[in-house]
Amino acid sequence: MAASDSPSAALRRRDLCSRGIRLAGKMRSDVVDLLDTYVERQGLDASASVVAVEGVPAAAVERWDEQTGTQRLLENLAAYRAFRALLAQMLEEQREQLGEADAALGRALAAVLLQVSAFAYHLEELLRLESHGPPSEEGASPPPPSHLSLFEKKLRGLGVLRELAQWAVRSARDLRQIAKPSLGSSSAPSLAESP
Amino acid sequence: QNLKCITHNLHKMICTWDVSSKGRHGQTDFCYTTNDLPPPVCFKTKEKRVEILVPESSTTVTVTTNSVSGTAIATKEFEIHKKDVSFVPLTPRIFSLTPDFATSTLNLKWSDNGSVFPYGLDAIWQIQILRKEAMEKVTQVNYYSKLTHEDIILSWNWTSDMPLECTSHYVKLRCYINVTQFAGPKDWSDWSPVEEIPGKDSEPNGSGVFPQDTVVAVGSDVTICCVHEEGQQIQRMTYGPEIYPMIHLSRRSSAIRVLNASASDSSGTNAVCILSEDEMEGTVLFVGYAPDIPQNLSCETSNFLIVKCTWKPGRPSGLYGKRRTKYSLFERVSGKNVSCEDNEMSREHVCGFPVLADQKTYDFILGVSNPIGQTESSLLVDLIERVRPKTPEKVTVLGNSSTSVRLHWFINGSFAEIRLLCQIEISSGHSERKLHNVSVPGGKFSTYTAQLNTLHPYTKYQFRVRCSAADHFWKWSGWSRIEEHTTLEA
Repeated sequence: MAASDSPSAALRRRDLCSRGIRLAGKMRSDVVDLLDTYVERQGLDASASVVAVEGVPAAAVERWDEQTGTQRLLENLAAYRAFRALLAQMLEEQREQLGEADAALGRALAAVLLQVSAFAYHLEELLRLESHGPPSEEGASPPPPSHLSLFEKKLRGLGVLRELAQWAVRSARDLRQIAKPSLGSSSAPSLAESP
Repeated sequence: QNLKCITHNLHKMICTWDVSSKGRHGQTDFCYTTNDLPPPVCFKTKEKRVEILVPESSTTVTVTTNSVSGTAIATKEFEIHKKDVSFVPLTPRIFSLTPDFATSTLNLKWSDNGSVFPYGLDAIWQIQILRKEAMEKVTQVNYYSKLTHEDIILSWNWTSDMPLECTSHYVKLRCYINVTQFAGPKDWSDWSPVEEIPGKDSEPNGSGVFPQDTVVAVGSDVTICCVHEEGQQIQRMTYGPEIYPMIHLSRRSSAIRVLNASASDSSGTNAVCILSEDEMEGTVLFVGYAPDIPQNLSCETSNFLIVKCTWKPGRPSGLYGKRRTKYSLFERVSGKNVSCEDNEMSREHVCGFPVLADQKTYDFILGVSNPIGQTESSLLVDLIERVRPKTPEKVTVLGNSSTSVRLHWFINGSFAEIRLLCQIEISSGHSERKLHNVSVPGGKFSTYTAQLNTLHPYTKYQFRVRCSAADHFWKWSGWSRIEEHTTLEA
């Protein structure tokens, strides 16, 4: 990853990656639980098809194995910064719409938001091991949605959680890929390293 | 033939006639006598209609049809009696038709043209509401008014049983004026031109499900419609978990009818319109109750700084967040109003109102409202009769002899206007608990003191104290913490 990977940096990166993989796994199971609760509490149909959520990079990516470690981290960081803003907005809307009525869903949302924030910080730590460090936050947050009806907000929330669950899976794979000892920082992983 | 005269204003009448269709005709010579008094008034007209005064009793009319060159072709005389003249009011004009989409209400305004008629005539306005592409009649209503010899703008509201966005609504009206002293036949006016309130189904990007995110009372019948783009098909419409039969409104709009809606969950009940290619539109309906009259409203002060009112909210409204039931406390004497911070989940509600200088009586109205309704509860309170002091604090015991002690305690509050009755509970290991009452002048954030005698020497005692208003007992404060003290040896 770093131009010349000193043993301590490599050790630090591997440690951050393994902790990140565990955090992503925990986050995914919590998001899946939250999804079930969300669908039930919002009276939605679990099979409802939801259009892509504005402002969130899709978890699905083409030529995944050709990405460099830096690209992986940068895309992950952009996604989780966007999720952090979207989840915070969902929490705000939840309080505005329901007040104290559905505290359980509110707490679950807040817990996942906390994990997303922690994971974003984790990715920034990994990028700090890089020469240029994490990009600044300005202009990173998703554009505030034009006026959405309540039902559209409910669907958007469903879309956000589904996409977050996908990202958690991808992040774990990305971190496993980054954790592998590689020759250089920006070189694509050698074929041998492809999953 | 067929000379007919109609008056719109009881003053002038319009006479029309037919002419046999043979050959081309030129102008017509029209002569009439006013109330049969010669000489006749004559004039030429190209029309087959003239406007002349309504006769007091009768008038004789002579109509001469001329050829294009001006030679008389045919002449006919008619006797018109006042009772032959029909009275048909002028066609009313809609002044304005204003939709209020939030409440699905149409406001209709029109002029009654009263200036044309003498004072005091009774008028009936028949208003018709039509809907859908086929302009089906939804309702017809008679509205009654009295003409006042002035042009008055009349106003009428109609609330639709479906959101106005669902499809276009049309309104027209006509009138009938009951002129009892008019001898001739009386008839309805013509219908006014139709006024339209276009629905979203006639707007290019009007698709959506309506009503949008609205609140209705439990038990309501609700019409929910889905407006879609041309060419799209609705696969099904659901409300909550159920699929509902659809009612066709127009090529781009269909509706479902939910009867006797039951209370929704806190996040509302979704009404979803599933279109072709799995596209989905939806809305959320919040079904709840109007606020209950607050029960057990009670107000007291614990420090003469704040009056604290509590009440039981009664049946939960089932509405939360920004739709929750809100409370405000209005005090009639001072005119002051306070919004209450409340939590819709708690069983008991509290609201604080500042104690006002030089005001003893408080005439409270607790106002309650949510999007479905409002109510209130009231309470008249004489503040000095509703004092429940705060729990005494900083209790200290000073022993100055083997059989007596001096107790000190502090009460947070301003009681300078009243006397306090305080009760000291004295207990020691083996003897029975004793209560010692003492009345003290109230003070402002003061420490109070009492002397206790006839104690046993060298004995371990537990003391605690509580207070209330001496003159108008309302409630005791809470008991202070227990303070232990051992009397001196004899």
